[in-house]
Amino acid sequence: MIRLFDFDLSGNCYKVRLLLAFLGLEYEKTNIDYYPGRQHRTDAFLRINPLGQLPVIEDGDYRLRDAQAILVYLAHKYDHGGNWYPTDNPDLIGEISQWLAFADQLTTTASAARLESAMFFELDGDAARAGAHKLFRILDAHLWFREDAGADWICSADEPTIADIACFPYVALSEEGGVSREDYPAIRRWLDRVKRIPGFCVMPGVFPAGPAV
Amino acid sequence: MSSGIWFPVANTSDLPHRHVFQGRLEGRELAIWRADDGHVNIWENRCLHRGVRLSIGTNTGAELVCQYHGWRYANRSAGCTYIPAHPADAPARTVRNRTFPVLERYGLVWTHFSENTPAEPQPVGQYDDLTLRPIPIGAPGKLVWEFLSDHWDPGLGLAASDDLSYSNGTATLKLFLQPADSNRTIVRGLFNHQEADYDRGQVLLHLNTVLSELRTRIENEAARRPAPEPLIPAYVPVSAELAAMPERSVQTGMIRVHVARKTSAGEGVCSLELTPVSGTLPSFQPGAHIDISLPNGLTRQYSLINSPLETDRYIIGVKRENPSQGGSEVIHDTVREGDLLAISEPRNNFPLRRDAESTLFIAGGIGITPLLSMSAALNNQNLDFAFHYFTQNRAQRAFPERLDLLGSRLTSHLNLSPQQTSAEIAGILASPSADRQVYICGPGPMLDAARSIAEKQGWDEKAIHFEYFKNTREIDDSSSFEIALARSAMTLQVPAGQTILSVLRENGVDMPASCQQGACGTCLATVLEGEPDHQDVYLSRSEKDRGDRILTCISRAKSKRLVLDV
Repeated sequence: MIRLFDFDLSGNCYKVRLLLAFLGLEYEKTNIDYYPGRQHRTDAFLRINPLGQLPVIEDGDYRLRDAQAILVYLAHKYDHGGNWYPTDNPDLIGEISQWLAFADQLTTTASAARLESAMFFELDGDAARAGAHKLFRILDAHLWFREDAGADWICSADEPTIADIACFPYVALSEEGGVSREDYPAIRRWLDRVKRIPGFCVMPGVFPAGPAV
Repeated sequence: MSSGIWFPVANTSDLPHRHVFQGRLEGRELAIWRADDGHVNIWENRCLHRGVRLSIGTNTGAELVCQYHGWRYANRSAGCTYIPAHPADAPARTVRNRTFPVLERYGLVWTHFSENTPAEPQPVGQYDDLTLRPIPIGAPGKLVWEFLSDHWDPGLGLAASDDLSYSNGTATLKLFLQPADSNRTIVRGLFNHQEADYDRGQVLLHLNTVLSELRTRIENEAARRPAPEPLIPAYVPVSAELAAMPERSVQTGMIRVHVARKTSAGEGVCSLELTPVSGTLPSFQPGAHIDISLPNGLTRQYSLINSPLETDRYIIGVKRENPSQGGSEVIHDTVREGDLLAISEPRNNFPLRRDAESTLFIAGGIGITPLLSMSAALNNQNLDFAFHYFTQNRAQRAFPERLDLLGSRLTSHLNLSPQQTSAEIAGILASPSADRQVYICGPGPMLDAARSIAEKQGWDEKAIHFEYFKNTREIDDSSSFEIALARSAMTLQVPAGQTILSVLRENGVDMPASCQQGACGTCLATVLEGEPDHQDVYLSRSEKDRGDRILTCISRAKSKRLVLDV
C-alpha cells in the first residue's frame, strides 16, 4: 500500500492526491500538520524528509519526496495506459519536464503568496504576486494558442499529462493569495477542463465544475 | 453613466459550453455565460444573497448556480428560481440579478451601460473576421490609446488608416479598447483579410507578440505615473424582505405575448406557446400559473406546463370544457397563432418542495398541467419522483411527448370508474412517510376523494398538496355580516348575495383577486377576530380549522362580525 505524508491544505500534496484519484489507486495518508502545527519542522518528520517539505510517499520500502518527482514515479509505475506520462516521444518528455519545472516556479510565487496571505508566513507577498502574474501571462498565452489549435492540455498530447496536474493546484488556489485570474480567460477554461477529468477530486478552496453535459 | 457606445467585453471563444466567463467594464465586474440554447447572458458578477462572485458558480446550461449557498438564477431573466434554504417557498419573482444588454457580432460579445441603446458596431470589412487574443494592460485607456496612436507599427505591412484601424490594401486590423477599470484596459481586435488562404495562426501569433511587447512598454510608462483610483460601481442590493418571502399582489395583464404556436396536445386539449413581444419573460416556479385576458373580456388562469428552465416561452394546455363558461371555448375556437395576448406575471400557489427524499405526483385529466412543470424541475436536478396519471383513455393523455420523457417513472391509469380510481389512489398512498411529498391535481371529486383517503391513511397534511382548478361546491351566500378593517379603519356591511371582495372594492380598498371562486388563493386575508365560514377549496382542513385566514372572494362569516387585517 502506498503511504502519502499529506497536509489537506497543501497544493503540492493535492497534486499527488489528484494523480492517485485519476489512477484509482488506494493509499493511506499520514497527516502532517504543516499549519498551524508546523509538524514538518519536527525531528520525526525531518528524519523522513530532511528538507522538511511535503509531500513524501512510501511505496513498500521505497521512499520519495518532491511532488513533481512523485508524479513521474507514480505515473510511470502505475498508469498502464501510459497517457499521464508518455515515454515514447522525446519531444513530449522534454515538454513535460519543462512544465514540471514551471510548476515548481508556481510554488515559489503563487503558493508563496497564499502562504503569506492565508497562513501568515513571513514572505514578500507582493513580489510573490508579481511573479505569479508573470507566470500566468505565459501560461494563458500558451493555453490560448493551444486552444486555437484545437488542443485542450498543456503539453502536445491528446490526453492530459502530469504537467496539467502539476500546474493545476497553485493556479486554482491563486485567489487565496490575492492573485486574481480575471485577466487569464484561457487559464480559467483549462481549470474547468481539468476539473472535468473523470476521477477528479477537490480540496478546500477548489470548487468542482458543473457537469459538461 | 458612460458614453453611449457598445464595448466588446469578451471574445465569442471565451464562452464555451457550460463555462462562466469573468469580465469587467468600467470597474463593474461581469459574469458572462452562454446557456445551452445559445443565449448569452451578461450579469452583475455577484450573487444577490451574499455578494459572492457568480463567475465561480456553475453553469448548468439553463441556470447559473451560486457556489456559496446554491441560489439559482434563470437564463435570460436572471430571476432567482430557487433558494435551497427555503425549499418550500417560491422566491419572490422580483429577486432578479442585474442584467446588461448583449450583442454578439464579429466574434466578440458587446455590452453597454448607457440608458439609450447605442448604434450597433460596424463590421470591419466584408470578409470573415479573425478575433485576436485579448491583451489586458495595466494602464489607463488614455495612455494605451496614446501609445497606439503614436506611430505604433503592427507589422504585416499594415499602416494606420483611421483611429485604431490599420490596413494594407488587402487586410484590415481594427483594435478596440475595453475600459475594464481606471488602470486596466483590454485591447481586443479584429483582423479582416480578403484572401481566404492566408495563414491565420501566423497572423494571430504575430499580433499577439507585437501587442504583448507594446504592453510592456505601456506598463513601464504607467508604473512611472501615479495610479488612478479604481472605479467604484454602484450596486443595488435586494432587500432582506424580498429575499425571504414570496410576493403576493400581482397586476394582471401587464405582459404582452405572441401566440407563437397553437397545437393539439391530446384529445380535446390545445397547447399555446407564448413568447414575449419584447424583452424577456419573468422566470417562474414549477406549479405556477398565469392569468390570461381573453379576447371576449374574460380573465382565466392556466398553469404553465413547461420546465422553468425553458425561459424563452410559456406553454399552457387548455381543455375544451363542455359546457364552457367562455374561457376554453374562446381559446379553442378564436385564438390563433400570431395573436397578441395580455397575461399576468406568473404566480405560484402550488409551490414544489425540492428537499423531499421522494415525490409523488397524481394527476387526473387536465390536472396534469402544473405537475408536468414540477416533474421537469425535479428531473433537471436528478431528484427522485413517481408520476401517476388518470385519464379516460390513452388518447386523452395530454402532452404525450413530454410524458415520454418521464420514462418508467410514469404510470398511466386508464378508464377507471370513480370507485376504481379511489381504490387505486388508496394503493398509491398506502405508506405515509415524512420524507415523501405528494402533489395532486385533477377534477374536484377526485381531489376530495384523495383528501379523505390521505387523511384516513394517516398522511401529515403538510406532505400532501392539492391544486383545485375550480370550486365545484355549492356556494351559500345567504348570510349577512359586518367586516371591520383593522388597517384601513373602516367598518362595512356585507349583505346576502355580495362577497367580501366586492364590498371591499366598492369602498375603494384594493385587494388582489384572480379566479374569484375560492380556488387560487390570490385574495387571501388574515382574520384577526370572528369565525369565518369557509367555502373555498384552497385552504387545507387544518388551515380552515385555525380560522385565521379567509378567501375574501367566496368565504363569509359565521359570526356577526369579522375583523380583517386589511
